[in-house]
Formats: sequence, C-alpha cells, structure tokens
Amino acid sequence: MAIRNLLRGTAAVALVCCAGAAFAEPLKIGLVETLSGPQASTGLFYRNGVIYGIGKINAEGGFGGEPVELLEYDNQGGPVGAADRVRAAISDGARIIIQGSSSAVAGQITEDVRKYNLRNKGNEVLYINVGGAAMELTGAKCHEYHFRMTPNADIIVNALLDGMKENGALGENVYAINQNYSWGVDVQNSTLASAERLGFTVVEETLHEVNKIQDFSPYVARIKESGADTVITGNWSNDLLLLMKSAGGAGLDARFGTAFLDQPGNIGNAGAIAEGHFVATSFNPEANAEKSKAFVEDYKSVIGHYPTYVEPQGVFGMMLLKEALKAVEPTEDGLKAADLVVALENATVETPMGHMSMRAEDHQARLPMVVQKVSRDAVYKADESEFGFVPVKLVSAEDAEQPVQDSCKM
Amino acid sequence: MDQILFALLNGTIYGLLLFMVSAGLTLIFGMMGVLNFAHASFYMLGAYFAYTLEPFVGFWFAILLSPIVVMGLGVCVERFILRRVHAFGHAHELLVTFGLAVVIAELVKMVYGNFAVDYRVPAELSFAAFTLSGLDYPIYRLFMGGVAVTMFITIYLLLTRTRVGIVVRSAIYRPQTVEALGHNVPLVFMGVFGIGAGLAGLAGAVAGAFYTTNPNMALELGVMVFVVVVVGGLGSMGGAMAASLLIGITNSLAVGSDLRAVDVLSIVGLGDWAEKSGGLLTISMSSLAATLPFFIMLLVLMLRPSGLMGEKE
Repeated sequence: MAIRNLLRGTAAVALVCCAGAAFAEPLKIGLVETLSGPQASTGLFYRNGVIYGIGKINAEGGFGGEPVELLEYDNQGGPVGAADRVRAAISDGARIIIQGSSSAVAGQITEDVRKYNLRNKGNEVLYINVGGAAMELTGAKCHEYHFRMTPNADIIVNALLDGMKENGALGENVYAINQNYSWGVDVQNSTLASAERLGFTVVEETLHEVNKIQDFSPYVARIKESGADTVITGNWSNDLLLLMKSAGGAGLDARFGTAFLDQPGNIGNAGAIAEGHFVATSFNPEANAEKSKAFVEDYKSVIGHYPTYVEPQGVFGMMLLKEALKAVEPTEDGLKAADLVVALENATVETPMGHMSMRAEDHQARLPMVVQKVSRDAVYKADESEFGFVPVKLVSAEDAEQPVQDSCKM
Repeated sequence: MDQILFALLNGTIYGLLLFMVSAGLTLIFGMMGVLNFAHASFYMLGAYFAYTLEPFVGFWFAILLSPIVVMGLGVCVERFILRRVHAFGHAHELLVTFGLAVVIAELVKMVYGNFAVDYRVPAELSFAAFTLSGLDYPIYRLFMGGVAVTMFITIYLLLTRTRVGIVVRSAIYRPQTVEALGHNVPLVFMGVFGIGAGLAGLAGAVAGAFYTTNPNMALELGVMVFVVVVVGGLGSMGGAMAASLLIGITNSLAVGSDLRAVDVLSIVGLGDWAEKSGGLLTISMSSLAATLPFFIMLLVLMLRPSGLMGEKE
C-alpha cells in the first residue's frame, strides 16, 4: 500500500515536471549495457566511460541549452534482453542508444534500431556502438544510423601484427586460436589475410566455445605440436587468462598477441607469465604522456580510478558525439536524428592519442591505435602488480584505417 | 604417441577435478533427493576463502582451513535454511538452493570485485614434474589429481567400511526405517551436507589457484558438474568418478582431433555430399569439444536414464 502511494506521488510529481518542461525537453540517451550477470564486469566499465563522457557534454552546455539525460538499462548480457530494453529505452524517449560489450548484443541492437527507423521515418533513433568489434556491424549489417566509435577486428589485428613485426616479436609460424562467434572468426580471418603481407605462415587455426572451457592444456599441447612461435588470439575474459596460464605452466615458448590482455585481473593473476605479451588498444597513458596525463587525472577525479580496459574508448566515443552535437541545432521536437548523422560524419575530435573522425561510407571510426607490451618498466601498473603496459608503437588514425567492406550498402 | 599420452593425462586430471566437485553433489542428491544448485557456489567460496586466508596462514594451511570454513557454512545452510523448507517439498528446496547460488555470486562480487583475484599457485609448487615432447607438465596438476584420488579413497572407505558409513548409506535409501532404529537422521543429513560442501570447498581451494578465482567460476563449472552427476547416476560415488573421467578424457582427446563428420561419411561414399552440405558436417571435433559432455549426457539419458551406475530411478 505504502509503495503504491509512493508510486502515485512520484507519478504526480513527474507529471508536474513534464508539464513545465514540455517545450524544451532534454535530449535523452539510453545506455543499454550489460549491468548484471557474468559479463557485467565489462558492461560496468563501458558505463563508467559513458558517464564520464556525458558529464563532459553537460559541462559544456549539454544539447540545446539543456543537460543531456542518461537513462540506464540492463540488457542482462544477451540479445533477447537487449531487444526488450531497446524498446523500453525508445518508448522512454531515448533518441540515442549506446552499447558496447558483446558483438552478439550489438548485432541485435543495430538490427532493432534499423527496423525501428524503417517504420518511423522522420523520428529515427541513433545507435552508438562503443565496443562491438565484429566486422559485420560495419559490413553486411551496416546502416545509416549505426556508428562504431571503436576499432573493428581488422584494425585491431593489423595494428597488433604491425607493432609486433616492428619489434621483432612476430615469428614466422603463427597459431590463431579464437572464440567461435562473429568476433573470434573475424580475428582469425584478419590474421589469415595479413599472413602474406607480413611474411608469416598461419600453421593452424582453432575456434573453440566461448567461456566454457576450464582446462586449456589440450589446446596448449596442440599449439606446441604445431611448432608455432607466436599465438594471435582475440580471446577475452577467462578464455584468455586460462589459455595464457596453461601455456605458462606448460613452459610453452610462444609470444601472445592479444586484443583484451588489459582486462582488469589478467595481469595480476597471470603475473610473470604475461610478461612480454602484446595487446593493441586505442589508448595507453604513456603514449603522448602530457595530454594523456591530464586526461587520466581528470578521469580519476570523476570516476575514482585511472581509465583502464574499455573505459577510454567509451570516453573517446562520447567526445566525438559531443563535437557532433555542437553542430546540430535542436528542432521543435528535440534532436533530429538525420541532422546528427550528418554532423557525426563530419565531426573530428582530438583525443589524447590523436585525431579521431567518422568515415561516412560505413560509419566506422578512424582512430589511432597503440600497440603495447607487458613490462615491469610501465609507469602505470596494472592490478597493483609490478607489471604494466608499455607502448611500443603508436599507429596514427590514417595508418590504422582499413578498407571499407564491400558488403556494406548503406 | 606422446600426444595421446599427454591428452590422456590432461583429461584424467581434469576429470579428477570434476570428480572433486561432483562427489559432494552426488552425495547430497542421493540423500536429500534434491539437486543442490548452490553446490558450485561452495566450490567458488572455497577458492575465495583460501585466497583470503593465504596471506595470514600460508598456502598449505589456507587450503586446509578454507574447506572447514565452507563446511561450517554448509552445515548452517542445511540447519537454518534447507531444513525449514524441507516440509514444503522438493520444488521449494530446489528454488532455495537456486536463490542461494545467486545471492552467493552477488556477495562475492560485492566483496572481491568483478574480476579474477590474484590467487596463484605458490612459487615452490610451480615447477615442471617432467617434460614430454618439449612440453612441461606442471607438478601442481599431479598434486590436484593426488588430492582427488585421496578424497575418493577416503570417502569410499568411510562409506563402506565404517559404522558411520552404514548409517549414512541406509539413511539415503530408507530414512524412516533408520530413524525408527533410533538414529538421528536430521543430524546425518546435516553432516553429509556439510561434508559435501566442504569437499567442494577443498576442490575450489586447490583448483582456484591453478585455474582462476573469479565470480563466474561457480557458473562455469556448475553446469559441467551437473552433467557429471547425471551421467554417473544420481547418488553414486563410483558413477561420479567414472563419469568425471569419461568426460575429462573425451574432452581432452576431442580437442586434439581433427576428425570431421565428413571423414566418417566418406568411408561409406557420402564424402562429397557432406562436403557440399557443410554446416555441422564439416566442423572438426576440436571445435565441438566443449559440447561433447552434453552429447554424452543425452546418450546416457536415452539409453540408461538412471546413469552409468545409478541405482535410484
């Protein structure tokens, strides 16, 4: 009874509020992220980055003189939950949907948004993808209202391989081991495609189930048998940590090139086993030290810790959105999505790593990449261990760029 | 040859780990007739408690004390939670353990954070036992296997050779009769539940250091443990051991195998057709390794629903 009264009271207050602000309704952004369940750890990091980024947008006046409102929805880690939450977000008035963790969820959201826009001409919503790296999102599934603010599999793998090659860490025999879904398959294909250019042989490739394997020793035995000196893997979470530990325990003498080695807990848990392994991401605080320092300190003052893992890419995505929003004039009905599409396609922003902009052909961001190596010499240590990530190569946005996929028809 | 030996060894050790966790579960099921969803959570708690205790008492005492703490927790769960719901039937007990698993997972996340913690094999145990075709075999794997085998022998002797064992076994099959004979059956239940939880805790404390200690470890192993218990036969200790080894070894061998359905079909002349149809037929065994246990479960349930060595229907 008490709850019902409370609800009634809140509804009444809400009505009064809305009546007063009917003409200058603030822009609502729906964050549909994995906030509970096993993969929540990653989702919560995206949330941090987005909250920080939205804070910056509001610090500079928000949109149309009103602060931007961030609504949060929990997609519970799966496409089904995400589809439901996207519907809820749109009906709550969100004009922009943001999501990052899991390409599988991203694939669902981008389709939902595309279909919604087909049915609601003139009242479209935007999907800003701050994490899903699978190629199809800017390939066969690309559409005008999807924007990927982060590197895709091609960009990550090519930057990683180039950086390793330059540092003499890329051997001649490469083993590709990946998780059996869109992202893992993409990493495998990118690795295979680069073999000729960089002069290595992919001795074997393996696709395995996602985060279901406890014991990686049979896989390590296979890697050993293949005679590989370098392992390229897009694995994340337990699949990366267990693979690495198993390889370390077996004394496998192979260098790892990864995409998610910087996930919190990995370095602390793997310890010396991770030393000398590589990762390519879109940020390292030691690269462009001066600008980066200002950014990481400011980030810490807001969120409480230095930006790690996927947080910087969430922030950079919001920076580009901020630039684009500045160039858009609100209409009577608030934000017109088509205007923002044009503004985003023309926006450029200076992140601590360099230029970032949006490619109009497939809405894939052009952004710099940093190839890094696990080392004791790092200034910023990971997981309170003695190791951290030292940048070995900063790849400019132009050099990191990969061609538009033929399958993308906007 | 070395490869197969390696795969067999790897599979055996992994199977023994599965046994360590499923032993308690199958005991508890046999006794209470309830599948304990929170069982893998005790495994996780064992790892986290050992991680917490390690800085104070050292690794060895940590893996000894942690299972005792988990056992105490198991006793409390039985005494204060399960016993209260027992009267309402199996469905309620099942739901309670399910809820408990969720609560434990969330509590662990609140206390220890979302990511893997720094719980590792101590330096004095991280060396190679022997080297086989260029690959080191970590001594800790053998240690895990040793713990599991010791555990199996101890439980087996306890259940078959002691008076306590006789009471427990009879309480499993005819609780009313045992009670009528003057034995305190609720106490037996509480004890078995506590010991079952403690065994899972021991497995967690030992395996958590080798694999990872993270908030999802209960979920990751939990499913596989249920498969083991179902395949082995609910309530059967020997069955759990057989099923654990079966699953561990097939998994390990499958990973190393490139066999495809196409290869089998080409023996009977359907090779070209299968190659063209693609899909499942052209996927190699190694990609399907993690699904094999479920396939085995399906087969067992179809051919022998009570499990490999199950006696209860």
